[in-house]
Amino acid sequence: MSIRHGLLALLEHGPRYGSQLRTEFESRTGSTWPLNVGQVYTTLGRLERDGLVAQNGEDGAGHALYAITDAGRTELRTWFERPVDRTSPARDELAIKLAMAVGAPGVDIREVIQSQRRHTVKAMQDYTRLKAQALTALEGTGSRERDDIAWLLVLEQLIFQTEAEARWLDHCESRLIRLSATAPPPTAAAHAPASERGPGNTGARPGPGAGTGGGGVGAGSGVAPGGRAEGRAR
Amino acid sequence: MSTPLAAQPVLRLQNLTRVHGSGATEVHALRGIDLDVHPGELVAVMGPSGSGKSTLLTIAGGLDTPTSGQVVVEGTDITTAGVKELAALRRRSVGYVFQDYNLIPALTAAENVSLPRELDGMSARKARVEALAALEEMGLGHLADRFPDEMSGGQQQRVAIARALVGDRRLVLADEPTGALDSETGESVLALLRARCDAGAAGVLVTHEPRFAAWADRVVFLRDGAIVDQTVRSEADSLLTGRVAEA
Amino acid sequence: MKTWFHSWRAAIRIARRDAWRAKGRSSLVLAMIALPILGVSAADLTIRSSELSVTERLERSIGAADAAFRDPGFGGVPVHQSPDGDNVYPAKEPADNEPWPSGSTDPGKVIPDGARWITDTQGAAKLTTVHGLLQTDVRELKTDDPMARGITTLLDGHHPRKADEVIATSAFLEKSGLSVGSTVSARNFDRPYRIVGSYELPDELDTAQITALPGAFLAPYGKAAEKAGALAPGSTTSYLVQRPGGFTWNDVQAINAKGVSVASRAVRLDPPADSEVPLYQQEGWGDFRSSDGADAMLLASLATVVGLAMLEICLLAGPAFAVGARRSRRQLGLVGANGGSRSHIRAIVLSGGLVIGVSAAVVGTVLALVLTLVLQPFLEDFMGQRFGAFDVRPLELLGIALLAVLTGLLAAIVPAVTASRQTVLASLTGRRGVRSTSKVLPVVGLIALLLGAAIALYGSVVTDQFAIVAGGSAIAELGVVAMTPAIVGLFGRVGRWLPLSPRLALRDAVRNRGRTAPAVAAVLAAVAGTVAVATYTSSSDAQYRAEYTASLPHGAVSFFQMEEGGRDVPAVADAVQRYFSVETRADVSRVAVGKPGCPAWGGGDGCGQYELMLPPANECPMWAATADGSDPSEKFTPEQRRKLLREDWRCKETSGGGGVYVDGGLLVGDDRLLKVLGIDDPGAVRALADGKAVVLSRPLVDKDGTIGIKQVTDLKAAEQASMARKPSPGKVSRIPAHLVSGDPKSYGLQVLMTPAAAKAAGLATVPVGAYFSTDALPSSEQRQKLDAELAGLGAGVDLTVEEGYVSDDSIFLLALTVFAGLVTIGAAGIATGLAQADAEADLKTLAAVGAPPRVRRTLSGFQCGVVAAMGVVLGSLAGLLPAMGLRLTEEREQIRFHEQILAEGWGSDLTPPYVPIVIPWETLAALLVVVPLGAALLAALVTRSKGAVARREAT
Repeated sequence: MSIRHGLLALLEHGPRYGSQLRTEFESRTGSTWPLNVGQVYTTLGRLERDGLVAQNGEDGAGHALYAITDAGRTELRTWFERPVDRTSPARDELAIKLAMAVGAPGVDIREVIQSQRRHTVKAMQDYTRLKAQALTALEGTGSRERDDIAWLLVLEQLIFQTEAEARWLDHCESRLIRLSATAPPPTAAAHAPASERGPGNTGARPGPGAGTGGGGVGAGSGVAPGGRAEGRAR
Repeated sequence: MSTPLAAQPVLRLQNLTRVHGSGATEVHALRGIDLDVHPGELVAVMGPSGSGKSTLLTIAGGLDTPTSGQVVVEGTDITTAGVKELAALRRRSVGYVFQDYNLIPALTAAENVSLPRELDGMSARKARVEALAALEEMGLGHLADRFPDEMSGGQQQRVAIARALVGDRRLVLADEPTGALDSETGESVLALLRARCDAGAAGVLVTHEPRFAAWADRVVFLRDGAIVDQTVRSEADSLLTGRVAEA
Repeated sequence: MKTWFHSWRAAIRIARRDAWRAKGRSSLVLAMIALPILGVSAADLTIRSSELSVTERLERSIGAADAAFRDPGFGGVPVHQSPDGDNVYPAKEPADNEPWPSGSTDPGKVIPDGARWITDTQGAAKLTTVHGLLQTDVRELKTDDPMARGITTLLDGHHPRKADEVIATSAFLEKSGLSVGSTVSARNFDRPYRIVGSYELPDELDTAQITALPGAFLAPYGKAAEKAGALAPGSTTSYLVQRPGGFTWNDVQAINAKGVSVASRAVRLDPPADSEVPLYQQEGWGDFRSSDGADAMLLASLATVVGLAMLEICLLAGPAFAVGARRSRRQLGLVGANGGSRSHIRAIVLSGGLVIGVSAAVVGTVLALVLTLVLQPFLEDFMGQRFGAFDVRPLELLGIALLAVLTGLLAAIVPAVTASRQTVLASLTGRRGVRSTSKVLPVVGLIALLLGAAIALYGSVVTDQFAIVAGGSAIAELGVVAMTPAIVGLFGRVGRWLPLSPRLALRDAVRNRGRTAPAVAAVLAAVAGTVAVATYTSSSDAQYRAEYTASLPHGAVSFFQMEEGGRDVPAVADAVQRYFSVETRADVSRVAVGKPGCPAWGGGDGCGQYELMLPPANECPMWAATADGSDPSEKFTPEQRRKLLREDWRCKETSGGGGVYVDGGLLVGDDRLLKVLGIDDPGAVRALADGKAVVLSRPLVDKDGTIGIKQVTDLKAAEQASMARKPSPGKVSRIPAHLVSGDPKSYGLQVLMTPAAAKAAGLATVPVGAYFSTDALPSSEQRQKLDAELAGLGAGVDLTVEEGYVSDDSIFLLALTVFAGLVTIGAAGIATGLAQADAEADLKTLAAVGAPPRVRRTLSGFQCGVVAAMGVVLGSLAGLLPAMGLRLTEEREQIRFHEQILAEGWGSDLTPPYVPIVIPWETLAALLVVVPLGAALLAALVTRSKGAVARREAT
């Protein structure tokens, strides 16, 4: 997610001040990508430097208001019209981790995959529960508030992205099983008999986010959505 | 949301194994499965094809018998039950929802829902009243007198869920109930299933779609006939609490 | 109990809706079950309605009278009668050598004083019609008398009021082409009568009858006829009597003592006990009453036919229910997943049978009621009598309807059990595979086969009882039906070297015995029955052909017309010559004794008869009359008898009867007759020209070379003489004879003489008929034209056209073959439908691997053909054997009979009886080749070749 363009999009609705922009941004994206005020002001400074926004007086409480310029509107339009570039794939920690795990001595790659999968699905469960609440709220009040709908879409984007990851993990696993079945010498990645690992084992390795609540879950989820979004943006 | 878990599980699988065939063609479909499903809980079973998901479900409802181990439904061990008792169990305690063609084409929605009750000997009038109530409760009252071929796939699946839970039954065994549906419709089916579990039913959902498994309270990962992992029911409501606190 | 009821209700609801959804299949099965029910119900209604109550019957025979007094024709001797008055017998049975009492008496004499009566006289006359003459019953009855009410029903016009008015039955009007208002007159009787009304006899709608006032027709007609030289027609008069209090059984017996029989209303309504009926006490009476054994036999055969029909329907309908169960397998699996136990699944499939059975019962019964009501007039015409009250017997109809329900249920039993045996899981996943068939059924079948065969063998070898042979064969047949699944399994081994489509079809049929076997069994049963009957009839046919004796040379035609002194002979002969292509015509006359109008067989006032005299020396010693009345043949040993029969020309049986209807085979004609009969003897022609009699029977010729013809004028005296074993009195004429040499076929002719010779011998002759030789066999069209012409003459003509042996059962065989063919095609079609339902997945796979669309067609064609072929092959085998068994039994019986005759010396023929076994190759070929081919082609034609690929894309 590009913060530059996100702020521009918010300013399109009218002049805002820094912390106001932060609050609106988080509310639109469901606190998925937490911002600190410093980040907001740094970005606003760069935007002003590039002539995309301009200082525009103060409000009653003395906050400095920023407004979008014509150049900023053009930039925003271009951004909306341009598809997200996929020519330089996101650097994904998970992908790198799995690539490294293949052939690494003493590492059970299926363990790596499974613990990641548990984590991913757990995240999905949480997103889904939020989504269920959002759906109930939308249907219950009958309101079609812009923020609620935006929140739902963001949640679903997260769900589908996480699902893609879960599927990719499934695929990795079955591919590895196939290869290990056909490869003659058992390497370190040879899969351990499934029966050795009862469900009791799982309790011993709680997922990183299992016990923790709050924003920490999002940060430590390993999905690293913010980071990926950043990497994708120009 | 967080229904307190009752002391006794609705479904308890203990050290369940199932072997198909014998000798050279022997296949271990299930190896030592232990699983409890409590009232108010929706458990999703995931795993690659051939991992034993469907076998687990058929054994849990008494459509198939385990090679060893115990299946306890509502406190009753059904492993040693005869064909007749198993049929009675399916009439009174367990409801199935399959991937597609869940409804009997010759019967209307209401009649489909009342079928287990009528088979159990309830008078047609009483069974219909009950079925209408169940459909109404799930927001399907307008479908009562339609025949299956006059309903969409999602509607059929939701009627099937209503049938699975009619009467005193509170265990739904769903085998890929969304398999033949598009994403949006599948979601409506799962939302209904979720709602029924929140209202106190117990559910086991077999699926290979993580997106649908994510509706469950707990996801069990099955591989080669054994449970290799499961997500533990989280204490917190959300990993994105900022927003929730605000709401 | 209540629980059971509720779950059945759910089952029936599903079955009902399913039946409605599969309309085509349901209506097919429904029609199959309903049709026989319709037929049987309609027959029951018709029979019950036409069965009259005693009151109704009395009304039709004696009207409103209390009794009818009739002349039993025993000359007034005391008689015994049955309570209904239909059987009358002299009270004192005449001794062996006493003549049977005969003669008429006037019932009017015994009518008690104070009774009111009218007469009912019946006679006959030849009446002029639009087309010619019509032999018609003439009745004299005051039809408008209250006492006669109910005997006739006036349809149109009014009752006769004057002597020249008559009313006629509608049957007469139709046959004669006349109508109310026309005039009608009799031959030899120029008084015209006007038809003033039409009526019908409720019991005899077909009878051509006219009714005049008493005394208005028959008496004057008789006088006129006599004056014209014809014989006065006989008439009988009965009296309808009315008397307060009616006539009790005692009254009836008192009147019987005066030689008159009585049909009394009071006795009919309240019949006396059998012990009070003297007739029943008379010796030998019991023989005339139908025995209970015959009834039991009838009942047993009826039950067998109904049972076999039900079996056949079950076998045919069974696969249809199996298709239904198979098609809705997933549905049944769902019911199982929702807690339906096996009994519920069974209940659902059985309910299918119940629903169809009940619908068929309702449809069949209602249709039968409606059809019988609507078609009542036609049915009445067909049966020739009006119904009484429309008689609906609910219990009987219910019983027949129950048969339909039972058939439906029975047909659904096997599919129901099969469906319930499947595990829910297998039903849901649609897993297929060889369904294990019952192991018990083939064993039971084998036992039945062996037992039945043993019984049949015992029957044909030890007892000669047809019933035992047939019963054993039936049991064995059922055994084969039960063994069908096992036998079908054997066919699978043939398949290895067949091309793809037939191999696939055969494998499929064998792997799915559950559906193949009932269809094959249905075909088997139908074909077996057909082949058995066909083999039996064609064998009998061959036997009859061998035993056939021609009555004339092939292609020759003869006719005899004896009424009224052969008055119409020339007209008939002309007609024959006109319509047939006649080569030679030989008119013949007969010798008449007495008045020319006398009947040929004697009888009537002033009428006599003649005898061909057999010289005592030429009499066969075995038959010659003895003085003491003992049996002359007993003097000989069987060996001597055989020898006599074989070697003594006097004892030789006269060859080849038929054709000639004249006493002693004496005809008066010329040498053209010899030519027609193919008797080639120049000496005979010469002899005729010389005024000699040509004789074809050697014993007739006396030592002096003449034959004797005796004219007997006093028949009474002749009868008494014959009782006393004395020659009858009469004038004998002797005529020189020429014995035809070389023993040619005589076709019943024994003596031929020319009219001149007859006249010379003092014999009067009257024309009696003619012989013709033709150069082409008369066609059916020519015969019809001639028949129409002869009908116009109203003459009793005995026409013989020698066409050689004509088998009358080829149509029957054809009908049987067509029936078996239809059953085969139906059963195979149903099985194919079932196979198609099953094979959908295979067909998709076939299409997916690139099989051309026509494979779908050829496969279903072969599937149909395979079922039909298996059925007809097994059926033909199963049908040939019992037929052969029956024929062998018959042969054994005839040989035994023949041996007995030989041993007793009653027959001279040493050749054993000819009882061939002829296999009806044409029928067999049609069944074995044409029917399976036709079934296969039909199935291939009606199968769509598209459809598989599109479905696959959708999923």
